[in-house]
Amino acid sequence: MEPTVIIDAIIFGNLLVLLAVGLTLTYITLRIPNFAHGDLATIGAYVAYFTYVGLKLSPYLSVPMAFLISGSVALLSYLIIFKPLSSRGTSIVGLMIASIALDVVLRSILHIYADILSETYKVISRGFIFRDSTITIGTFDIPCLFVISTVLSICLIISFYMLLTKTKFGIAMRAAIENPSLAETLGVDVNKVYAVSWFLAGGLAGIAGVFLPFRMTAGPEIGWFMLLRTFASSILGGFTSIYGAMLGGYIVGFAEVIGMYFLAKPPFNVPTAFRPALSFIILIVTLLLIPEGLASKIRLRKIVMFSKNPRRGGKR
Amino acid sequence: MIVGIADPLRFILDLLAFFSIYLMLSISLNLEYGYTGIPNFGKVLFFAGGAFIVGATTTRLLLFLMGLSSKNYCNFNVLYASEVTNQLALNPALSITMFIVMLLAGAAVGGLLGYVASYPAIRLRETYLGITLLASGELLRIVARNYDPLICGTLGVSVPDVFAWIPVSIKEAVQVAIMLAIALLIWVFVERLARSPFGRLIRAVRDNEIAAESYGKDVVKVRMKILVIGSAIAGIAGVLYALYVRSVHADDFMPLRTFIVWVMVVLGGAGNNAGAVVGSFIYVLTERLIMQYKHYIVVPFDVNYVSYIVFGAILILMLMFKPKGLLPEKPSKTLDFEKIIKRIEKRKS
Repeated sequence: MEPTVIIDAIIFGNLLVLLAVGLTLTYITLRIPNFAHGDLATIGAYVAYFTYVGLKLSPYLSVPMAFLISGSVALLSYLIIFKPLSSRGTSIVGLMIASIALDVVLRSILHIYADILSETYKVISRGFIFRDSTITIGTFDIPCLFVISTVLSICLIISFYMLLTKTKFGIAMRAAIENPSLAETLGVDVNKVYAVSWFLAGGLAGIAGVFLPFRMTAGPEIGWFMLLRTFASSILGGFTSIYGAMLGGYIVGFAEVIGMYFLAKPPFNVPTAFRPALSFIILIVTLLLIPEGLASKIRLRKIVMFSKNPRRGGKR
Repeated sequence: MIVGIADPLRFILDLLAFFSIYLMLSISLNLEYGYTGIPNFGKVLFFAGGAFIVGATTTRLLLFLMGLSSKNYCNFNVLYASEVTNQLALNPALSITMFIVMLLAGAAVGGLLGYVASYPAIRLRETYLGITLLASGELLRIVARNYDPLICGTLGVSVPDVFAWIPVSIKEAVQVAIMLAIALLIWVFVERLARSPFGRLIRAVRDNEIAAESYGKDVVKVRMKILVIGSAIAGIAGVLYALYVRSVHADDFMPLRTFIVWVMVVLGGAGNNAGAVVGSFIYVLTERLIMQYKHYIVVPFDVNYVSYIVFGAILILMLMFKPKGLLPEKPSKTLDFEKIIKRIEKRKS
């Protein structure tokens, strides 16, 4: 197997980790699977594209901006839509419908933005791709994205670990997620904790969005194409464990890239267009065989809790 | 005369055709979600199932029956379809048989997909069920897009006209009338089902699963039945859609369609079949009017996106301020009090 395939798999895994951690973060607050999560990544992709086309800068420089914008959109969607709905006692299905509605709204806005962008700058705004520079070590080239996304993911893993175990805010966060009413009684501002979670989730998705056009042709639907893979990663990781989401992201990323590498060769000769089907299969098999995810199997619980919510047990 | 519409009759027929298709879909979702509480986020899967079976088999089957070859089918499928249509125009009996066979096949495929989908449906909690159904819909679309023998992949496949034997002047009207009649039949069927003892059972399952179970009802089986019925209805809608549009493209079956059906049900009122009618009519009317008038609006983007934004916002606002919809669910109808007294007296005497 060529090293490029492994590099590809690691990059794809990194992107999925960024997305899946965010999705898990929002899931553990209100217990809704946020179907609009993919669009937050698309926003990031368009922030990067605007930086590239409008400001003529490297897309990498748009990472902080994408983090802020996608994070703000996620925060606003929590404050304006999901918090009021959940405090009105809307059912989980109701919240899921709302998140699908939000997905459609955001995607339509992005379509309109894409149209306006191509009108203003006379460039294509659907199906664009970023060319990456490479670092040459010895005989083979390593794409910059590999270095940047890997460093970022490692930083993310470490900083989440530090945040959740060493800081006061992180401990309050865990408490608020584990048992909101008890945490509230003890003086934790649950609402603030949830708001921060949504902002972080959106921001991480935005960063992933900046990186996406380096790997695949991007358009307003790119977040949607990543969404089900993100769900596959999060659910494989247990959906309530942040470290599970990281593990799930790498497994799905590797399974898709390396699995496709083998499937595309004889004797299988599967067309590469079927690649997304691999992560869907992982998703469905996980739900049917180990719906509680990997986190419960390998006791990731001990590292980071977020595992059992006393309010809802039993059947998934 | 409606302002700005070149051919009002054509507009109304088109409106009614889409209304009948969306009516079937929203009734089936209402049966699943409104009455039974199954959040079917994969409605498009069953709808696509019906449409794909028409796209994949009609022309091939007819070519086979007529003894013609279907060599190099995908590249020449438009030619083959028009060839078959010419033959069908001369043979009403075959056309009608084909139409009925396709309806049954669509219902069967939809029902079968529903049966397969019900396997996780009864085991998973609503969150996971929603994700699974959504993912399965996308999976079917990806397979259809990339597996050419089914509906010719990205090229799409054209569907022969089984109504070609009717004189051109009334053909469209007859076809739309048949579609409306089928939609009406389904409406009556679901309405009767909802008022039957089984209808009370599914509401019991929705409102309190444990209570229903403790009365000895098999919740799992009930859910399975409802998913099969609902999916069969969606399959029929898919067949009628494919026969009306006369072509099947995999990318026509994006999850956006599921969203549209949800808008109709939530807007009209879940658990009320009249609500499904109102919801689908409002949506289809708005959509068709935008299609008609969008050429007059000059903006640097597609107006359709604005309508999606508006409908998304409406959906969220409905959930927030009027979660029961425009026509909320009514308590189930019971016999008139006086009638009951009379019956009791009759029994006494």
